[in-house]
Amino acid sequence: MPIYNLYMGCSVPANYPNYEAAMMKVAETYDIQLEYMEGVGCCGSPNLRAIDYLGWLTINARTLAIAEKNGHDIVTPCNGCFGSLKDVYHFLKHDAGYRKKVNDILKKDDLEFKGTITPRHFVEALYTDIGVEEIGKKITKPLDGVGIAIHYGCHLLRPIDVTEFRPEYLNQLVQATGASVIEYPLWKQCCGATVLPVDENLAIRLARDKLKSMKESGAEFIAVVCPACGNQLDLQQLGLKESYGEEFNLPVLLYPQILGLALGMTEEDVGLSMNRVPADSILNHLTG
Amino acid sequence: MTEMEEQSGPPTTLIDPIDMSKLDTKFREQIKSMPNSEELSACFACSTCTAACPIANIWQYKPHQLIRMIILGMKEEVLSSSEIWLCLTCYQCQERCPQKVRVTDIFFDCKNLAAEEGKVPSNIIGLGKELLEKGQLYTVTADWEREDLGLEPAVPGLSVEAVKTILKETRTNKLVEGGE
Repeated sequence: MPIYNLYMGCSVPANYPNYEAAMMKVAETYDIQLEYMEGVGCCGSPNLRAIDYLGWLTINARTLAIAEKNGHDIVTPCNGCFGSLKDVYHFLKHDAGYRKKVNDILKKDDLEFKGTITPRHFVEALYTDIGVEEIGKKITKPLDGVGIAIHYGCHLLRPIDVTEFRPEYLNQLVQATGASVIEYPLWKQCCGATVLPVDENLAIRLARDKLKSMKESGAEFIAVVCPACGNQLDLQQLGLKESYGEEFNLPVLLYPQILGLALGMTEEDVGLSMNRVPADSILNHLTG
Repeated sequence: MTEMEEQSGPPTTLIDPIDMSKLDTKFREQIKSMPNSEELSACFACSTCTAACPIANIWQYKPHQLIRMIILGMKEEVLSSSEIWLCLTCYQCQERCPQKVRVTDIFFDCKNLAAEEGKVPSNIIGLGKELLEKGQLYTVTADWEREDLGLEPAVPGLSVEAVKTILKETRTNKLVEGGE
């Protein structure tokens, strides 16, 4: 039974408890032990990295150092947290000068970053440590081949030398549920979440481009693995409908919700009613 | 064919020359001493970064131009540009750079230098304030939703104090105080 330090960050627990609940239930099904980390807070997001590099390094190094104490890898369901933790981990492993600066601050709390555990995204841990074949074995209600477009999210994929995540991982995980992965031209493009505080209009344009590209390629649903990306693609659809009468009707599901339903969980188990664009039509695609 | 207009003086300038006296020749070294900027000088201005950027078409200064401006020493223009704050941090430019210039990371360095000079958009300062005062960007308000899903109403293990304490000693505090 693999054991991990579960790092939730702030967005998933506050805005996407359905993601958290579905992830916990999926983990239970595969005998994955997720232990909520003690004494940790927010990762600061790329916004903190932009204005206060040392502060951003230190709060994330602190999270990594706490995990090092029990020796288990960190997993997180959020691309933002994953990006911050993985970037800090990678940078401090290679930069002795900053490592010393950060450890001097952490010393007060009797903590030290050594780089002995790895921060990972929940879906990467599923892919690598459980494996697509094992995942498939427990599926009792496979999807009927319905077309799902995957939005991976920038900070899961890039920079590749830091994230070490390959899009195939998520493709195979989605296919394991019985769904078809829809390829679309703008698959690599950003959802716009990062510029939301600086230029909301630009953020909406980016989300719209993405939705348009998915729709035109024949997708019926969208799979995401990040609360910020989820927010952009799901919530902005309501805004586009209200402001311009433009309807995409592309329900956005967090990956553990899709897997959970295929594992026989109920729509209440995975909190389907919380998805903004009504997503219950996914139930019509479950077989078995 | 249209008739040529009668010219009364010499032709207009196509490109305004850079005023050499306004360049800060140390800017390049300053950026190069910051995280992940070692490869800055390897840029050969191929503009692959600009081709990869999903929003370069609405930028006055394109990504490859910003890199060139850093190398030339156009510190004031780079640090005052809106472009560095509009960067999506999607890393498409950095991923495709044939010279391994970490373009997105370099823009993060530029933003930190701009922050050191107090040039930060007010909404970003607002996020810094949230982190400083609450220790997180989002706080659980609808705890009944969590309970309905079988989760603990409060996030287990959450501690916001350490984030607040750390950021009180770093630049976030200075920026938030300066903005008030």
